[in-house]
Amino acid sequence: MGTWGAAQQHGKASAPVTHRAGGGGRTWRALSLLGALPAVALCMANVMLQQRHHRPARPTFVPYHHLRIRTKPFPWGDGTHTLFHNPRTNALPSGYEQ
Amino acid sequence: MAHQAHSYHMVDPSPWPIFGAAAALLTTSGLIMWFHYSSTTLLTMGLLSMLLVMLQWWRDVIRESTFQGHHTPTVQKGLRYGMILFITSEAFFFLGFFWAFFHSSLAPTPELGGQWPPTGVKPLNPLEVPLLNTAILLASGVTVTWTHHSITEGNRKQAIHALTLTILLGFYFTALQAMEYHEASFSIADSVYGSTFFVATGFHGLHVIIGSSFLTVCLLRLIKFHFTPNHHFGFEAAAWYWHFVDIIWLFLYMSMYW
Repeated sequence: MGTWGAAQQHGKASAPVTHRAGGGGRTWRALSLLGALPAVALCMANVMLQQRHHRPARPTFVPYHHLRIRTKPFPWGDGTHTLFHNPRTNALPSGYEQ
Repeated sequence: MAHQAHSYHMVDPSPWPIFGAAAALLTTSGLIMWFHYSSTTLLTMGLLSMLLVMLQWWRDVIRESTFQGHHTPTVQKGLRYGMILFITSEAFFFLGFFWAFFHSSLAPTPELGGQWPPTGVKPLNPLEVPLLNTAILLASGVTVTWTHHSITEGNRKQAIHALTLTILLGFYFTALQAMEYHEASFSIADSVYGSTFFVATGFHGLHVIIGSSFLTVCLLRLIKFHFTPNHHFGFEAAAWYWHFVDIIWLFLYMSMYW
């Protein structure tokens, strides 16, 4: 892109709606690399630490009427499995598959 | 040599609007055929034609602007209004789903056990993956702002790095959400809790994918020198959309996860 310089200001349109006060590229680079990304790393560590505990036993199956509703079959597979069905954690209306 | 006594862009005749309408008809009727008659032909045709219309229409906008110079400041102003109005309409779209959520959750019926989450529903822990997802989207808002400043300052290398980081964060969010969807103990069919949760977060996820695609196109254009420090509205529009997606997530996190 090169350095166009301040002389090209005549074509500048108004600032974006979400204009934030606060410096230029150097500032946002610092905020990204020293603030935002370390925060993500911390949250990643938090998830990994919390998931070290072995998975709790899945709840006993109770055939509640307000859960596992099947008013009409799903248009895929055998029509009884939701799109993100997980055999370990999701029971069918008749109970767990596994 | 042709001249115009105004600063607007009188667009050449184009087939994409009518083809887009046809794609919408094919897609909607295709959904009906799929749901009720187990046929996916029309739906496939609809989604394919929709993709082709989008690619060719937006390719033409890039040709008209970057390569033919039709996007005067006046034209750009119109595009800014347009994008703001579109994002506003999307905000109203999500408002509906938030309304549905609050309608059912603030006064849970006896059928749900008179409580929220309903009896038998084990919600996701908001302090695990959902918190990470919040950090990811907020971080991507910071990196996209870094990108914008890099573009206005003519720093090509940093702009490319920052935008790439933004897109990678977006992909990471999508991957984590997909994993959450698979691991959750409740499904969309688990009372109105599942309906409101998966419809709202599902549409949000779709918008993350759309926003990531928009940003990816911007990255390709950035690499190919389409943007100047003073004229890069395509990128600004993508950044606005991305911030919108972030804000919707914050509302989702605060109302549905917490």
